[in-house]
Amino acid sequence: VKIGIMSFAHTHAADYVRVLVEMPGIELKVSDPERAERSSGEEGGASFAAELGVEYVESYAELAAWRPDAVIVCSENTKHRRDAVLAASWGAHVLCEKPLATTLEDARAIIAACETAGVLLMTAFPVRFSSAFGSLRSAWHDGDLGSVLSVSAANNGRIPPERAWFTDVDLAGGGALIDHVVHSADLIRSLNDGNEPVRVFAAENRMLHADHPDVDTAAVVSVVYENGLIATIDSSWTKPDNYPVWGGLSLRVVGTGGIADADMFSEQVVGHSLEHGSIVIPIGADTNRFMLEEFIAAIGEGRTPLVTGEDGYASLRIVVAAYESVRTGRAVHLDSLDPTVGSADTSAASHQQHTVEGSH
Amino acid sequence: MSTTYTVGLIGAGGIAEAHLPAWLAIGVDVVVFSIDGRGPELVSRHGGGRVVDTLDELLAACDAVDICTPTFTHLDLTRRAAAAGRHVLCEKPLAPTAADVLAMITACEDAGVQLYPAHVVRYFPAYRAVEQAVRDSLHTPPGLQRFYRGGSGPIAPWFYDSAMSGGMILDQMIHDIDFAQWISGDIVSAYATQNTAGSVERGDKTVVTQLVLTHGNGAIAHVTGVWARQGTTFRTEFEIAGDGWMLTHDSIATPYSFDGNQTGAGTSLVPTSEIAESPYLGEIAEIYAAFRGGAVPRVSAWDALSAIEVAVAAGKSLETAQPVLVDRERKVAS
Repeated sequence: VKIGIMSFAHTHAADYVRVLVEMPGIELKVSDPERAERSSGEEGGASFAAELGVEYVESYAELAAWRPDAVIVCSENTKHRRDAVLAASWGAHVLCEKPLATTLEDARAIIAACETAGVLLMTAFPVRFSSAFGSLRSAWHDGDLGSVLSVSAANNGRIPPERAWFTDVDLAGGGALIDHVVHSADLIRSLNDGNEPVRVFAAENRMLHADHPDVDTAAVVSVVYENGLIATIDSSWTKPDNYPVWGGLSLRVVGTGGIADADMFSEQVVGHSLEHGSIVIPIGADTNRFMLEEFIAAIGEGRTPLVTGEDGYASLRIVVAAYESVRTGRAVHLDSLDPTVGSADTSAASHQQHTVEGSH
Repeated sequence: MSTTYTVGLIGAGGIAEAHLPAWLAIGVDVVVFSIDGRGPELVSRHGGGRVVDTLDELLAACDAVDICTPTFTHLDLTRRAAAAGRHVLCEKPLAPTAADVLAMITACEDAGVQLYPAHVVRYFPAYRAVEQAVRDSLHTPPGLQRFYRGGSGPIAPWFYDSAMSGGMILDQMIHDIDFAQWISGDIVSAYATQNTAGSVERGDKTVVTQLVLTHGNGAIAHVTGVWARQGTTFRTEFEIAGDGWMLTHDSIATPYSFDGNQTGAGTSLVPTSEIAESPYLGEIAEIYAAFRGGAVPRVSAWDALSAIEVAVAAGKSLETAQPVLVDRERKVAS
């Protein structure tokens, strides 16, 4: 299987490369043509590819000429549409870094392009493949939790330190909220048997990391689902820059049968040294590997991957509603949020359309 | 103290169980009155205090009262105590409505007696440590506070009747609301969601409430409150972060644990404490000192009113499904 990686903009690109170069039967090429747009202090381009031991090509055109079976889109969030649609036009299956896009119109356009081209589309939600999440999912579906009432999700990290674009709203589409809410939103969607979110309220501020005033650095999203399930997702960048690990993701689920806690990144050896201060060595299984294996297996078997483009769309829907709630200060009803099919470029207008109930 | 000081403990339920030993540890004289006849049992279990048969007897015998009765009785008992010229310590929440709290404050001010809410969380070491660190050593304000508070749901049925208890937000989440305001100032807006399932009879009645609160300075506080099935361990947790710092605590990380042949796991909503000094003792000692003319305690009846105003707004949000601006009665009052 020939896999092309589009851009080193997202740090996960390097993680994927490290997994894929070890995998038998995979040919890999990377292109990072917009490397010059990022700070020279950041990793990227041909030199970084050489460091990782992966073949590099200068342009997406060269990547296309190589006729990859699949691509992984790792560009900045707002470029996902351009790159995923381009890859689909080559006839390549697409694994797209999360969030799938920054607007519902862009997400819908990516899904439509992949459908038209007859290629698979997967959204990169590796936490779906975590064993703690698997245990939680079993407890939920086997009935151990009884009737489930709520989820409290905490996905708190540092500001991603290796790339400046995460705090550039034009490239990231937002701050802490768009960076991490999609993970928890997707996990809850996967747990909640297809029940749709109906109402979203969100609060954000810029009090943490005051040196990044252009984006939300603290964010809490409250979601009510059609089956009555309630959830809060805290995606605030609460960890200071010198915190020993990037952060973590935990879900607490309350049901009539009991309370389950799933802490997805808690498997670690911890310590301390004079030289390093706190030492934290993650030892959990690499969920990126499981996710990539699933993508490759789905391609080989010609089947829909475990995580789809629609999953990416659904989680983005909550983010878009959350930003709308922040803008209006009101709870947002999701029913009229979606763009009309086939009018992918009416984003400005359809963004404003949503239901807001009477004032208090 | 040179003269005998007598405290009138009203009620003999769960919270009296925590307060009586604290009063006894301080060494004051305690008289107990409880309408449900559980006074003698309480007194004999703790080896101190004496039971009287009527409220009038209690009021006549004491210098101050400690009201440990269900929420809906607090206003009336406070008025009676104030009329008798007795200082008042009252279990939280002071009352189910802001108007009732204001009436309690007015009654005590008019009578020239002191009134304090038993907001014991301000006396729990982990929470106190955060308050001190924020005040003294961390140089940026909290921007984000996340709280969890849950355990086996109450057994007494009046807790589930919001007319009597004020519901979970007023009864339980008031602690985190009060604490959030202690370190980040007034909350201006409240959004709440709630979900309920199970039954009291089966022992799996479960209530979850989630609050998203915005402070006047823009800080966000969010709280998950849980009344879980019987047998669930009581647990509190927080993560609090400002620019360049974060603090976390989880109450189940206790200094002692034992694993083996456990029966009847689970604890009540009144946590037992592994720590050297009971937060109840710290609370009652501070308030007792104020009753005797000492320093002003860390929490006032106005703080309690402020927290109840937030809780009332959150309750209203459950009905409107929209964020609700906190109505500040005290501004009208003062």
